[in-house]
Amino acid sequence: MTPSNDLKTILTRLQFPDDAQVLRQIVDQTLQVKIRMGRIKRKILVMSGKGGVGKSMSTVNLALAFARRGERVGVLDVDLNGPCVPKMLGIPGRRFEMTPDGAVPPEGPLGIRVASMDFFLRDHAPVRWNGSMELSPVWLGMLEMNVIREFLADIAWGDLDLLLADLPPGAAADKPPAIAGFLPELDGAVIVTTPSEVTTDVVRKSIVYARDVGIPVIGVLENMSGYHCPQCGHESDLFEGDVEALSADLDVPLLGKIPFDRGLSRSCDTGTPILDSTQPIAKRFDEIAQRIVDSLNFKRIMAERL
Amino acid sequence: MKFVCMNCEAFMLFQKVEKPGEGTLGVEFLCPTCNARFSMVTNPGETQMVQALGVKIGGRTTASEPFELTRGTLKDGAECPVPGMTSAAPVTSAMASSGEGGGTCPFSSMVASMGPEASAQASPSASLEWSAEALDRLEKIPEFVRPTVRAEVEEHARKAGESFVTQAMLDRYKNTSGEMGWTADARQRLENIPFFIRPMAKKEIERLTRERGRTEVTVEMMDQAKTAFAKFMGG
Repeated sequence: MTPSNDLKTILTRLQFPDDAQVLRQIVDQTLQVKIRMGRIKRKILVMSGKGGVGKSMSTVNLALAFARRGERVGVLDVDLNGPCVPKMLGIPGRRFEMTPDGAVPPEGPLGIRVASMDFFLRDHAPVRWNGSMELSPVWLGMLEMNVIREFLADIAWGDLDLLLADLPPGAAADKPPAIAGFLPELDGAVIVTTPSEVTTDVVRKSIVYARDVGIPVIGVLENMSGYHCPQCGHESDLFEGDVEALSADLDVPLLGKIPFDRGLSRSCDTGTPILDSTQPIAKRFDEIAQRIVDSLNFKRIMAERL
Repeated sequence: MKFVCMNCEAFMLFQKVEKPGEGTLGVEFLCPTCNARFSMVTNPGETQMVQALGVKIGGRTTASEPFELTRGTLKDGAECPVPGMTSAAPVTSAMASSGEGGGTCPFSSMVASMGPEASAQASPSASLEWSAEALDRLEKIPEFVRPTVRAEVEEHARKAGESFVTQAMLDRYKNTSGEMGWTADARQRLENIPFFIRPMAKKEIERLTRERGRTEVTVEMMDQAKTAFAKFMGG
């Protein structure tokens, strides 16, 4: 022993042994995510800084639009505490099929594969976790991050053309960077907003935040852009904000506008999604899907059409 | 977490995990040189923190099951039986030791910080220092674009080999990011790009034009931009 040696000096001479195998397991977990995600061509987040703007509705209808194009689509409902994608797709209360290769996700309309916390919950039961730390925000954050990691690592999606992840609301929440951290090859995020000035103010922050944490912003989807009268078909404004200005200010493509439509709202509430591509609202989502593809193919378009 | 035997200057080796009481873990370590043993006992909160990582201290003796953490921690969750689960998920430790993966995983920084080489190296994207006058000017920019401007100015400064942002540097940035002229032919060609991504295209072409030291976008610049994108696409 050399009494004068302090810990810092001693550590420079030692090789770190992972005999408790914690690091190895964490690396294994990360690799498992990489392997699963490697079979998915495109991964897109649907997010917003504001709640109640229609993220889940947009996710579901974009998934349907891409499925109508003949793509193999998966939807990951990352809203752990308020999962509603299964209900909107008409498959609430279904269960994963646990197999040695992973959890097989239930299929919804047009073959869309869905993963959601809803599939672990009993009817109307909220998400509650076991343990004395249940109410500790630090522990909850860590646990939820690892639950999301399991959603990315343990689901046997098979080969997919597109995975859409519906994120919970929050401009500075921990979920977007957590997901982006697990998915370095993430294609980007579609940001959902309404024209309300209050909403666009918050959404503006979430766009800046997404860029700050390294998430490419594919574009903005304006929901509730107007009211679509079920009687006469006339469209009038619901809000007086300006999403086009937001889009120009932040140099983000405006992917499209979806009016508030009672038929669309009913289809989500009753779990009977609009599948018919001749429906005007379905056409709008088809156009937005095409613009998402064009945005992602920006460099190719520049090379071919300029 | 590791323990060091200060007498022997050696890492103590993990021996076993015990459960001495409800919600607590006893993790036993041994010094390989002097054979001293001791046990670290966690309280329930610490035990849950470790469990939230989804790892087993000492390594796994059985394969992990899908959603092991979620199903094991969820209170009053629905039944999700795992029929005939016998084999492991496909990740192997051999792959783990290959050094692949990691990416920007939230654990990466923790893993890196536990390694012996962990040192306080500054990240290349770390913020530069700003003079008080430059910071004052930055504060006058609307809040929502401030982070973007800050990042761009710092990027300019780094490219110029500077580590301190001054007022003069802000002036140079302003001059290089000003309005650029377009010839009628070039503007016409921009119409070939779908309207909703046209602003992005315009910005990219103007950036390329500035890089060439030009102040006007011409058809020749459009050709160069097209070639640059074609090269990027492998064409």
